[in-house]
Amino acid sequence: MLEISNLTVCYDKAMIINDISLRVNEGELVSLVGPNGAGKSTTLRAITGLVTWQKSIHRGSSDDIKLQGTVEFMGKRIERTPAHQIAAMGLIHCPERRRPFREMSVLENLKAGAYLLKSKKEIEDNLRQVYELFPRLKERSHQVSGTLSGGEQQMLAIGRALMSNPKLLCIDEPSTGLAPIMRSEVFRKIKRIKEMGITVLLVEQEVSTVFTMTDRNYVLSSGKIIAEGKGEELLKDEVLRKTYLGL
Amino acid sequence: MAFDILITSLINGSTYAMLAIGFSLIFGVARIVNIAHTAFYMVAAYCIYFTTYRLGFNPISAMLAAIVFVAFLGWIVYLIFIRPIREHEQAVLIGTIALAIALQELMLIAFTGDYRTVPALIKGFAQIGHAKVFYQQILTFGSVFVVLGLMRLFLMKTKLGLAIRATAQDRETANLMGMDESRVAMMAVIISVGLAGVTGAIIVPLTTIEPFMWNHPLIMMMAVVVLGGMGSIKGSFYASFILGFAEALVVFLVPAGAFLKGAVALSIMIIVLLIRPAGLFGVQFEEER
Repeated sequence: MLEISNLTVCYDKAMIINDISLRVNEGELVSLVGPNGAGKSTTLRAITGLVTWQKSIHRGSSDDIKLQGTVEFMGKRIERTPAHQIAAMGLIHCPERRRPFREMSVLENLKAGAYLLKSKKEIEDNLRQVYELFPRLKERSHQVSGTLSGGEQQMLAIGRALMSNPKLLCIDEPSTGLAPIMRSEVFRKIKRIKEMGITVLLVEQEVSTVFTMTDRNYVLSSGKIIAEGKGEELLKDEVLRKTYLGL
Repeated sequence: MAFDILITSLINGSTYAMLAIGFSLIFGVARIVNIAHTAFYMVAAYCIYFTTYRLGFNPISAMLAAIVFVAFLGWIVYLIFIRPIREHEQAVLIGTIALAIALQELMLIAFTGDYRTVPALIKGFAQIGHAKVFYQQILTFGSVFVVLGLMRLFLMKTKLGLAIRATAQDRETANLMGMDESRVAMMAVIISVGLAGVTGAIIVPLTTIEPFMWNHPLIMMMAVVVLGGMGSIKGSFYASFILGFAEALVVFLVPAGAFLKGAVALSIMIIVLLIRPAGLFGVQFEEER
């Protein structure tokens, strides 16, 4: 479904991602893990067009952004496609640090997520589905999203991404900054999303829970993919565990 | 006297509100500090003068023509002049100052520096105590509220309004929701400049038209935006009336107060920046990487 080949991203002279290749098949839950600063978020940003967007708005200024390699989604090359068109193809990015529209209510945030949908009925149906998945959001639907707790904001961010009928959902570090109970709650929901038939690419730092629920994993370090495979296989590798996963 | 102050502050306050809301909108969505905003207001005023006296339009069609023309002008100027430099704040600042001066000089060439007026839509006044309230003033004040009400409805209830608010709060995330950020920015520019045109159209019967008429509202508008909080439409609304009232108080109560008009705004601006730099309802922009 998603196929990345030899992707390289440079900001100025710093190479953030160095020649990585990865694929996500339909129906899979795949994780991309690695320590802070490994280039996980940049990888997602390159896939969903934000790097291209940044490049376009910084045109003519000193910091130079380079993007090489190919990204293919459902058989179409998208590495030069603008971010909003990629979203329209069903590749949805749920960004790092949740990023709710802080001044808007929960309901308005969800409606913003459904921006691409034309039919009112479809929006209603998706809203019902999201509220079913996150009953907490229904209780808070008229609260301003900036005043929600971190966990609630994360649920809102995922819910907002689900509103547009994603085919592939990329979630960036959903557990960061959450209390342990909230973390496992969020991971349970992600599992349910996979069971709903949505392909998920999950970026995480915290691997112990992630490896128990994913189909395959990629380990990223200093912009390179250093290992890939099923969770239990990766955990068998002593060096990998100690050096990169911190277990 | 008290009644005169009230009327002046309401009329001026509503002018500033209309201008500042347009200015906030364009800043919030497109991150453009549009110094030329009030110059578009001046162009709208001249446009009404021109269509009324030279082309013989009736007042209503003159107003509509002015609004459409100014919005169109704003769109063209944005496409060829502002968009290529949009991400470079200093360049935008310098560019829009240049644009404002260019528009001023164009009006000076076309219409000379003479003071011009257009007739009121409805003539006559009501006598309340010692104060006169012109019907035109009531009409202007009422139209401001209708326009701002429609603007609010548009922002809260329509899809484009939702996209505008989302982009203003976090344009990167708005992009990820499938909103075409550059198209939304362009629409915001057209609406914002159109609103400056509407302001010109509504205010023109109460004011004199001259090529420098954009200077004072510009200073007031900046002060309003600083007091209300950059990017906050609600803040701009309240701050406009606070400043309109402060200005009217000084003009009426201080001897030779009319010369201190600009000083009031600038003093308030400095005090706000010292005490509460975010303004009354300042929006904290999500940091962008």
